[in-house]
Amino acid sequence: MKSMIYKKKSPLLVFLVPAFLFIIVFLYYPFFRNIINTFLSIGGLGRAAEGVNTPWYENYQRLFTDPYMRTAMKNTAILIVCTVVFQVGIALGLALLVDNIKRGQQFFRTVYFFPIVISATALGLMFNLIFLYKGGMINQLLLNLGMINYEVKSNGRMIVEWIDWKDKAHFMFTMFLPVMWQYVGFYFVIIVTGINNIPTDLYEAAALDGADGWKKTIYITLPMLRNVLRTCLVLAITGALKVFDLPWVMFGAGMPENNGWLTGTYMYDQTFNRMNVDYGSTIAVFIVVLGIILSNAANRLIKPSEDL
Amino acid sequence: MKKSVMLLVIVMLLAAVLSAAAENVTLNVVTSYGGDDGNRANFEAAVAEYEAQTGNKVNDGSATSNEEWKARVLTDFETGSEPDVLFFFTNADAEPFIKAGKVVSIDEIRAEYPDYATNMKDSMLAVASDGKNYAVPSYGFWENMFVNKSVLDACGIAVPGPDYTWDQFLADCQTILDNGYTPIACSLVEVPHYWFEFVVMNNGTIDNQLDVPTSMDDAAAAKWVAGLNDIKDLYERGFFPKNTLTATDAETVAMFGEGEAAFLIDGSWKVGYFTGNHEDTLEDYVISYVPGKGDRKASEAIGGISMGYFITTKAWEDPAKREAAVEFVSYLTSDDVLSRFVTTEVTALVNGAKPEGLNILQQSAADANASITGVVGAVQDTITSEAKGDLFGNVQNVVTGKMTAEEAVASAIALN
Repeated sequence: MKSMIYKKKSPLLVFLVPAFLFIIVFLYYPFFRNIINTFLSIGGLGRAAEGVNTPWYENYQRLFTDPYMRTAMKNTAILIVCTVVFQVGIALGLALLVDNIKRGQQFFRTVYFFPIVISATALGLMFNLIFLYKGGMINQLLLNLGMINYEVKSNGRMIVEWIDWKDKAHFMFTMFLPVMWQYVGFYFVIIVTGINNIPTDLYEAAALDGADGWKKTIYITLPMLRNVLRTCLVLAITGALKVFDLPWVMFGAGMPENNGWLTGTYMYDQTFNRMNVDYGSTIAVFIVVLGIILSNAANRLIKPSEDL
Repeated sequence: MKKSVMLLVIVMLLAAVLSAAAENVTLNVVTSYGGDDGNRANFEAAVAEYEAQTGNKVNDGSATSNEEWKARVLTDFETGSEPDVLFFFTNADAEPFIKAGKVVSIDEIRAEYPDYATNMKDSMLAVASDGKNYAVPSYGFWENMFVNKSVLDACGIAVPGPDYTWDQFLADCQTILDNGYTPIACSLVEVPHYWFEFVVMNNGTIDNQLDVPTSMDDAAAAKWVAGLNDIKDLYERGFFPKNTLTATDAETVAMFGEGEAAFLIDGSWKVGYFTGNHEDTLEDYVISYVPGKGDRKASEAIGGISMGYFITTKAWEDPAKREAAVEFVSYLTSDDVLSRFVTTEVTALVNGAKPEGLNILQQSAADANASITGVVGAVQDTITSEAKGDLFGNVQNVVTGKMTAEEAVASAIALN
């Protein structure tokens, strides 16, 4: 006897409609309102608009001529590439390795996933100490290894040439490393779950055919992970576009010398610190549009396998 | 009869429950006594005493005062999530929420609580643009030059006096640099405003310090430009820390505290910070004078009473919170409590503050203040948050040559 729930659809609506209304009110309405705001002049959050911008597309014009926005886009593009290569790449490597061990899989899952549950603010403060100019963990280590120069003055005072990990030459490494580190575990868990869902008969059949571990990975695991990797790619791209908390804690407003902007941090600074709400809204719309374009491109790049 | 007794008991129980609920008011309070503020411990102690005396609870949302904090407070008002009591700047920064009617005037509070803030001199209450007083003043501040005597001793330099000149300062900085120390502890990316105030005064006078430029042709714009160029000159000479464009204020202050840097311009609140964090080396620090140039004497400083306690309309209109908010502000601004926050700062108290047992650094501040010949407010307090954020954000661009001082000032004028 089949359940009535499959024949009578109305009970489903009872559950779907509230969620639908909720998402309309708290996501789609604010988003479309945000698009309207990009054409208005708004000098602070919650303040009434002072009228339409002149010309009405002023913010969009500014978006493509603003040098800091160019910097933000360049940095974010690099972050996207790094995210895909290092976060997803390292996660894939770790997942394949962990899948090949017989004991301790759960242990490694927990260990690699752990950074995700730590607040980004706490991580930012921790990495600030690691990369601190004077007396930071890395600088002290390098000094002890003799990799940092120092000079002893005639008065006996030792002048150490500490490395400024937040200057123009190093900021990208310092900013991206914690972001990469934090999210590797996230993709690791997704990929490991994907690997576990691959039917074991495929591996058994391959073993009978004489396939070794490496061949199994190339010819079975990776093709079977195609859809999982595609999902990871989309998540990595959209995630990188929105990255804000960790870089903000470590670098604040565009440090160093306005070279460190990301689209997320620049949007926040314009909206909350500069009170330029309409321009901040424009950047937000741009981030969403860019996210849609890039995730579609990623989807087209790795087409879903019809066999899976 | 039995029914009547039962009814009476129920009514009494209800009254007891309701009165207990009324006593346990939770106040949301935001102040700048957060982070490493020198008076953080005093504030926490005062709040604990208030809670013990009244039975009320305080949700403390305090943070360190900086431009981001100010913007966040203003945003809270604009989005309807303002606190019940706010300790905030009483200058142009407060105008947005005053104009929006989101705080209650002292006169309105006194209509119901006649004793409110009567221990303060009315003449020293901050006057808003509508002519009313809103904030109960706490205590004043001064900004001046902190000197690390151990660094000066190591370099053979005397502690500067009230006749210190800019040329002497440049020569001293060079000597300090040659001896392997950093002359000036300052994060130009986070707190350029301390130096900005003094270099502007050095290129004008104490009398025209508060003039704000309205166009690039006026005299105020010229002194702002000259001031920014003075900061650029100091940067190019290598007198700021090597990482001044990436360091936080906390890092450069620590550098000064640990005897790595000689000079630090900061405010009266830092006396409490050094007392709490560098107690062992307190005798190394001296409050001196920012070198003078042109018509400005080194003995002229920045100062005034710029902050006070506001009661928000939201708390005032909430019957449960009205009295608690009034009691809280009255307690925090009482003669006894305020005296604990004060060492050498001016107050608006009718009877004056009575600080006791000054330590060596506090005594140094008192001695320096005794030689001060003039005090003026900070010009940054008279411009909008947007203009201020833009101007100070551009200091790093000016010193690195990405932007001229003229362009930075013109950009700030356009936003003011």
